Amino acid sequence: MLSEPLLKLDGVVKRFGGLVALDGVSFSVAPSEIVGLVGPNGSGKTTAINIISGTYHADAGSVLFEGARIDRVPAFRRVPLGINRTFQVPKPFAAMTVRENIAVAAYFGARVPVEIDAVLAEIDLAGHADVLASQLTVNQQKRLDLGRALATQPKLLLIDEIGAGLNPSELNTIADLLLRLAARGIALIVVEHVLDFLNRIANRVIVLSAGRMLFEGRLEDASRNADVVAAFIGG
Amino acid sequence: MSLLEYALIGGILYGIFFALVAVGLNLIFGVMRIINIAHGQFVLLGGYGAFLLTSRAHLNPLYGVPLAVLGAIVVGVPLFRAVVPRLQKSSNPEMLSFILFFGIAQMIDAVLIMVFGADQRSLPQDALGAGSITVFGQSFPDSWWVASAASLLVLAGLYLYFNRTRLGFATRAIMASRDEALATGIDVERVSMISFVIGLALAGTAGVFVPYLLGSISPDIGNELTTTSFAVIIIGSLGNPLGTGIGGLVFGIGTLVMQTFFPSWSNLVPYALLVLIVLVRPAGLLGKSVRVT
Amino acid sequence: MKASAITLGVIGAAFLIAPHVYGNRTLLFSMMAFIVLAQGLNLLYGFTGYLPFGYVGFFGTGAYTTSLMVLHSHLPVLLCVVAGGVGACIVALILGPLLRLSGAYFSIANLAASQILYNVVSNQDLSKITGGPYGLKIDQVYDPSASYFTMLVILLVATGLAAYFRFSRFGMALRAMNQDPTSAAMAGIDVVRNRLIVWLVSASVAGLAGGAYAWNLSVFYPDAVFTLQISVFAIVFALFGGVGTVLGPVIGAIVLYALYNAVGISAPQYFEFIYGFLIVVLVLFLPNGLMSLLARRGVRVI
Repeated sequence: MLSEPLLKLDGVVKRFGGLVALDGVSFSVAPSEIVGLVGPNGSGKTTAINIISGTYHADAGSVLFEGARIDRVPAFRRVPLGINRTFQVPKPFAAMTVRENIAVAAYFGARVPVEIDAVLAEIDLAGHADVLASQLTVNQQKRLDLGRALATQPKLLLIDEIGAGLNPSELNTIADLLLRLAARGIALIVVEHVLDFLNRIANRVIVLSAGRMLFEGRLEDASRNADVVAAFIGG
Repeated sequence: MSLLEYALIGGILYGIFFALVAVGLNLIFGVMRIINIAHGQFVLLGGYGAFLLTSRAHLNPLYGVPLAVLGAIVVGVPLFRAVVPRLQKSSNPEMLSFILFFGIAQMIDAVLIMVFGADQRSLPQDALGAGSITVFGQSFPDSWWVASAASLLVLAGLYLYFNRTRLGFATRAIMASRDEALATGIDVERVSMISFVIGLALAGTAGVFVPYLLGSISPDIGNELTTTSFAVIIIGSLGNPLGTGIGGLVFGIGTLVMQTFFPSWSNLVPYALLVLIVLVRPAGLLGKSVRVT
Repeated sequence: MKASAITLGVIGAAFLIAPHVYGNRTLLFSMMAFIVLAQGLNLLYGFTGYLPFGYVGFFGTGAYTTSLMVLHSHLPVLLCVVAGGVGACIVALILGPLLRLSGAYFSIANLAASQILYNVVSNQDLSKITGGPYGLKIDQVYDPSASYFTMLVILLVATGLAAYFRFSRFGMALRAMNQDPTSAAMAGIDVVRNRLIVWLVSASVAGLAGGAYAWNLSVFYPDAVFTLQISVFAIVFALFGGVGTVLGPVIGAIVLYALYNAVGISAPQYFEFIYGFLIVVLVLFLPNGLMSLLARRGVRVI
């Protein structure tokens, strides 16, 4: 059963001045998959996310989404194609209410009409619909970020270190949410440091180090791989 | 060919002087990330200060330099204390300080017109030397040479300040990274205030010589002086005081060449240079970009 | 929405009736011109955060485009005024790359661009085409009544645009862009295109005002339509009233311009000083203008 991967990176290279952030990275993601993306600081995880979301453009290599090349497509045009993301530090529209935050994404980024209340319920912020985004807790802002992305009906969702600073019960709630999203057909790439959290949700894991892919496979196998261990201890 | 030589040598002299005019603005920006759009007005204050010395006290305008330094302290310290801490805490310090200093520029312009009138004022030609000096067959008035020499002296002094004094090192540290400077225990607010005062003093000092290089001063050239200073430092790279020298030379030679060959268009030079540089190479010749994305 | 319609109605009625009550048409006309300029500037600054220090450049471009069209084409005057708006729009399109600059750099570059326009237009060498330092004369179409009404219409259009920016979905996109451009992009908003649209609209408004102004004056020097003082007034009026609102620039312009005429004409320097001082005080204590004072009391301000 060989189907076209949803996302395919092929030999992607990204340089910043003299620094090579990504050095020929290739991997694929299929619909409904949850792929973990791990690696020490500076390994290129966030750069990879930025390349996929369109914040950066690759210097070499290609990015294919649903079979079509999107290398040169600007970020805002990738949104209606079905790609969206959260941010490591949440970036809500601070002076707007929760409902307005979702509404913006629903109006401008969705392909078909979206029920704002449904999204609010999904991220469990229905009770805070009229609260200003700046007055939410960090955890709530993370969920709002996710809501904004969900309102555009993504097929691929990039989650950037959502686990940081969450307590175990909050982590469980988010994990359940992400599993529900995958069950609906949304593919997820989850950049994480909190490995138990990742273990609960990821089908497979990609390990990056110094811009190169070190390993691809199951999380348990990753922790037994000598190169991977060395990379984490060394970095 | 001698016209071109005139333009080149004159341009160098002019340019060195304008490096001095601009360097105070660059310093203030580099340290505080504040764009002092009233810069030209502070230069004018220096110029009018020298005017008062020559017309009322019958002193040599060079005394305007210590007067400028004194004025910078008297005006700069309370101004800094009243305004900067509030601005740093506001929602948009860069834009708000920009608008605020714009208001200050308007105020200074108004005061100058009220006190001195809108007419052009000159300083006595012979005060800085009655003759001219000839180099490579081209003659320029003594005052141009004095202004240039003074500029080089001050710029050299700045260089020593940055590289040989503790205060200068601290200043450079803040320019490189404010947060790191704070972390290493530098009293950022105090050094910022000192840099602000030095910036104003540099502007005022340059102002003493402006009437000689431009022929006269009047309250309405303040904004022109500001935009010219911006052109100079953006060419040489914003935040890099030593790049100002390069910017000055480019500007100086460009202006003199235009004045020599296309005089009615020479007004355009600083503005055209500025727009061109920010669009084509906003990093300037030496530095960091000022773009949004 | 209803509030906006009422506002437009009130303003329209006020300026229609005013000439019958208060004889100085010239002052009313100039006041309208400044309301338009403050509003036009508000469109850009209040909704995208870009502050055009050289805003007067578009006003002057409009004045000159209109005048040159009157002198050299056989189009009716009204169309020439529209051409003034178009001319300003074209210049804004050429200057579009300036939008890549952030904050203060944009402001300064915009100021420089406006000075370039002024220096080109008033240059001795171009006297045959632009009148150079001697200005232009279009008194063959002099019509104080018609130009007054035209300016009033432009005022209503500008205010209507502000209402549109404030209450429409487009306005929501603008607010989102202002608060976080990266998130806005990931919400599907074309930040670059939207900024450009607002820039072109704002420039066109100034151009239309310049055209109507040139028509009303019929004889003017380059200084009259390119002076920095016009930019200063527009900025002070808009800041004082409150940017990002519909009524702010209107009220700010009316109050301050009336004050200027009552007190300042005889002593312009005092007023320049007061305006400068006002800017400083506003920035330190009331950065969001008069309207924000009302908003703090709970009044729903449009």
